[in-house]
Amino acid sequence: MNIELSTEAAEFGKLALRALEEAGGDQLAAAAELEPDRRQGLVAPVLGELGAWQLEPWASADDLEAAAALCRSAGYWAVPYPVAERLARPADLSVDGLVVVAGPVPAAAVAWLDLRWAAVTLDGHRSSVVARPAAPPRESAFVAPLDLEPVDDAGAADVPLGLILPCWTLLGMLDRAIELARAYVQVREQFGQRLAAFQGVQFQLADAEVERGGVEVLAKYALWGVEQVAAEALDDALALRLAAVEAAESVFRIAHQLHGAVGFCDEMPVSWLSRYSQPLRRLPLGRSATLDEMTRRLGHRGLVGPYSGSLGESPLTRAS
Amino acid sequence: MGEAAEALRAELRQMIAEHIPRDFLGAFTDDPADLETAQRFCRVLAEHRLLCLAWPEEFGGRNASLWEQTVVREEMWAHHEPRGAQYMGVNWVGPTIMRHGTPEQKRQHLPAIARGEVIWCQGFSEPNAGSDLASLRTTARRVEGDSEEAMGRGAGGGAWYISGQKIWTSYATMAQWCFLLARTSRGDKKQHGITVFLVPMSAPGIEVRPIRSIVGPHHLNEVFFDDLRVTEADVLGQVDEGWKITQEVLAFERVGIARYARCERLLQGAPGALGDQWDTLPAELTARWARMLMHCRRARLLAYRVVALQGRGTVRPGDSAAYRIAVTRLDQDSAEVLMEIIRHASLTSEDQRRFEREVEAHWRYSQASTVASGSIEIQRILLARDILSGNNPPGQPSRLAVA
Repeated sequence: MNIELSTEAAEFGKLALRALEEAGGDQLAAAAELEPDRRQGLVAPVLGELGAWQLEPWASADDLEAAAALCRSAGYWAVPYPVAERLARPADLSVDGLVVVAGPVPAAAVAWLDLRWAAVTLDGHRSSVVARPAAPPRESAFVAPLDLEPVDDAGAADVPLGLILPCWTLLGMLDRAIELARAYVQVREQFGQRLAAFQGVQFQLADAEVERGGVEVLAKYALWGVEQVAAEALDDALALRLAAVEAAESVFRIAHQLHGAVGFCDEMPVSWLSRYSQPLRRLPLGRSATLDEMTRRLGHRGLVGPYSGSLGESPLTRAS
Repeated sequence: MGEAAEALRAELRQMIAEHIPRDFLGAFTDDPADLETAQRFCRVLAEHRLLCLAWPEEFGGRNASLWEQTVVREEMWAHHEPRGAQYMGVNWVGPTIMRHGTPEQKRQHLPAIARGEVIWCQGFSEPNAGSDLASLRTTARRVEGDSEEAMGRGAGGGAWYISGQKIWTSYATMAQWCFLLARTSRGDKKQHGITVFLVPMSAPGIEVRPIRSIVGPHHLNEVFFDDLRVTEADVLGQVDEGWKITQEVLAFERVGIARYARCERLLQGAPGALGDQWDTLPAELTARWARMLMHCRRARLLAYRVVALQGRGTVRPGDSAAYRIAVTRLDQDSAEVLMEIIRHASLTSEDQRRFEREVEAHWRYSQASTVASGSIEIQRILLARDILSGNNPPGQPSRLAVA
């Protein structure tokens, strides 16, 4: 396993980043919030021109990495569109996207979209989806309750990708949140000096970056598990999800704190990022539910690694 | 490359099983047999060219890849560092002498380290120079035309007399040599005027006093220097220019210990050690255990990222610092979880008691992990500096990769 995405995938990610910037960048979320029916039209054609909807992440490692890079770029701009969920669509169903569902109230950020969705539970039960009406975007962040109609039980293999790609979107949001916090503390002055000069501020930035960097390496590792169709791909995906939601809690808290009151204002991108990170952090499983599920699955055996005994998967073979 | 590294892992595990008693909890105990075990094991490793495997062949190494070095770090630390104190000679004393030593210094020191015969200690910290290392006050006073010059180990150029105190010096009671920092002049900046000396611990004028502590015997000592006489031949690199060398040493140290490997081995071993009692643990405790396993993997992958960047020559201080922050916090957090796990069970068999002792030793030693080899505060400063500077090596994207 390479510890980073391929150069091609990284280039594709940059291309998407620029295309989304030209299409509105930070303004996309605000525009979609104002006119939720435009969600599809604001984003999907831009990514379509890049070939996003032709990607087959389940079929090729190159496409898988490109999809991950694309999700990350979408997260960077808090793009008001379920990019990861569309890219995770299963190969064998005629649908436009896949959402992983769990808990008593299935829900996903698919409101105001005229698309065909499949849902899959963690144990692989697949359903077709009808999205019920959602509350206004500012309140719901485009999350709608879902009515599910069972299709089959053949979805276990779809789950890891369905969990991992949204974590790449969240990673893009963390990239941006730290970048925004960094930029702000370098210009904002208090007590006669830039905030960046205060050690208390520096330490918070450093702690946020450790969290972000941890998600980055685990996200790549989990991608590798999907690529290899590894038996433990779901464990890897849950471990990534746990790291990502933990990191989001800490990074967004720090990003808000370092911005002070101005960070709550609509004119500041950190406010939009923070708000639209919510569905990714809470669905399909929040921090505690993710940990519960991972603990239950790990049982007595733990996560695969150099000291996991007879399971014996070699992480070094992966990393070098 | 991956396969070679994994084959090496199997080889090392086999050697440990063969040469290290199962009760071994490190070389630094009150039982001298543990030190002897480590010293013997170093010689065995040396015979297989595994002690200094990262070194060039001419100095007794194997030119091993970065990944093979990573495996060695993991396996040694996971099994309570059966090289004892010699990991320091191997990890940074030798490589630093290779880069900055005179031909004579290389001849004198490198073969001895490669053969597993010598223990080094690090004379850095002082009572008033901890994280602020450059404030050190131990002083080397130059005496031109010293009459003893021709008699000692010196090779001309006068002598130095070193006086002062070092503290927290690990392994000073057992070391034959000290990698010593002393002030040779005072300039505008405190980083200038520091010189590295390679000093034999048997020389007159050195007194070592052990400090008893939570981390166990031999880890902490005070070392007093009272007009210790050294010569030009004992200076490593240039006089007054030792700070650059020190920076290199500290960078080596930041990735030198694979703390995550011991955490991971103990956490993975916990369900087996507890057997049926595992299912009686509070649900929150097993959840914390699972979470720690994720954090182990996270720290391991952050370490691998540093290794990969080292391989490309693009590693930044912030990359190592981020890893160090993650791994030292993991060390302490996992120790808390493991201690709570063993206290919830009745561990009576020989294997269970052994596991209990391992966990207890891990907990005590972990207390120092956010302080030793550069405190977590220093790591945060280094990382923040990288984030704020926005300076990236050529060809490498910003730390925030999509930006």
